[in-house]
Amino acid sequence: MKNFIEKLLKIDRRVIFLALTLLLVFPIVRPLGLPNKNIGNEVKALYEKIEGLPPGSFIMMSLDYDPATRPELHPQAVAVIRHAMRKNLRVMILTLNAGATGLIDEIGERMPKDIAPGKVYGTDYVILPYQPNPVAVMTQIGMDMYKIYDKDRDGALLKDMPVMKGIRNVKDMQLGMCITGTAMLDYWVAYTADKFKFPFAGGTTAVSQMGYAPYLQTGQLKGLMGGMKGAADYETLIGVKEKGTSGIDALSLAHMMVLILIVAANIMMLWLKYL
Amino acid sequence: MTLIKKHIPLAICFIVGLLTLSTYYIPTKASENYIEVMNKWENIMAGFAFLLGLFSLFFSHYNKMKRKVDGWGYSLFVFVGFFAMVIPSVLSHGRQMVGPDLTGLGWGYRFLFNALSGTMFSVLAFYIVSTAYRAFRIKSAQAGVLFVAALIVIVGKVPLGQMIWETVLGWTHVGVTDIVQWLMDVPVVAGKRGILMGLAIGGIVTALKIVFGIERQYMGKD
Repeated sequence: MKNFIEKLLKIDRRVIFLALTLLLVFPIVRPLGLPNKNIGNEVKALYEKIEGLPPGSFIMMSLDYDPATRPELHPQAVAVIRHAMRKNLRVMILTLNAGATGLIDEIGERMPKDIAPGKVYGTDYVILPYQPNPVAVMTQIGMDMYKIYDKDRDGALLKDMPVMKGIRNVKDMQLGMCITGTAMLDYWVAYTADKFKFPFAGGTTAVSQMGYAPYLQTGQLKGLMGGMKGAADYETLIGVKEKGTSGIDALSLAHMMVLILIVAANIMMLWLKYL
Repeated sequence: MTLIKKHIPLAICFIVGLLTLSTYYIPTKASENYIEVMNKWENIMAGFAFLLGLFSLFFSHYNKMKRKVDGWGYSLFVFVGFFAMVIPSVLSHGRQMVGPDLTGLGWGYRFLFNALSGTMFSVLAFYIVSTAYRAFRIKSAQAGVLFVAALIVIVGKVPLGQMIWETVLGWTHVGVTDIVQWLMDVPVVAGKRGILMGLAIGGIVTALKIVFGIERQYMGKD
């Protein structure tokens, strides 16, 4: 028995890799449809904030994630934009991460197809080009954003667009949001939200979510989505099941596998030590 | 020479540092204009810094290939990857889509960068699971506390975990999400706030040292 346990503890890691692969493939191919009953309070707060905005309100969304964190963050962005469009809000999308440009193009491509059919580019939403210097953008957008963004991503004059009517800086916007797997959200809070009293919310990877708890408690963040669960929660709230909801099944099984492996390894360790 | 290499950079840093700091506390039209000018300069400087970094990267990898150091083949891929994205980017004028069609850059982004970047990050999941099994040993009280907190958070964050909690511990009438919320509101906030304050104080001290010329490493060794 002792030899068997020792062998198990030293099992080839490729066996664990294979087990995880098999565990993940199944729910990705055929989602289990586990019910997402407990919605996070921070996600609810964000949903209610957007839900409470009057039609025509302006939301700035800084999508600062790249393909590495796409599975967690892209569904969050899509869900919030879908909600905002449904509420007849105006949305301005920008990025301070060069790796996000293609993902934003994907959103732009999907807008007339399924995210917001019937909404018009330039009237209801606009996409700005990538800017390389985050701090310069964050401070400038608080004063006169046209000094740093004079054109949209296609080169059209931003000031002339109907969607930008009455907008000069963040004081004219009702909500800002940054979805990122980096520290960009901290910068937005420090350089823009706090300084210009700009209501701000965030979307982060699950691993970073806990770190933003102080910002939520102080009200510096009005809401927060964390990881794929955050996306699934938001999708549940708006009643549209997408990648967040389908991904949560695979995530559930992988989480359980981690727990089972830790518990099993520690029981085996204790067995070897005391029995 | 000392004037150009030492005194003038220190003076620029001191004056610009103080001016920028003062704009935060004196929000006038003049300070707004000053920040606007500085923001434009920052963007221009960022462009040059990017080029400098690029050339440095190229020289470093070129030298590795030239000297045929261990793993020099990987350096070749730096150039292959760079040109595979930059040439289509130049040809498509930096645009990823023209109307509904993908350009060469768009194709490269969507089917190369997207897939490769996602794959690299997802490999992490396999290592985390493997490491959790092979290395997470509860040998002390601290490790025990860490495990219990991790267990509750993991269980409370996914639907399957919530279902298991309700089935096994539903009789306690304590929801796992309530415990996760408490963990997030109390111990996590306490720890994180301490770290944030330490970071902020460290940042302020470092910034002041740079502004007043005490910290001069940014000027190089000379």
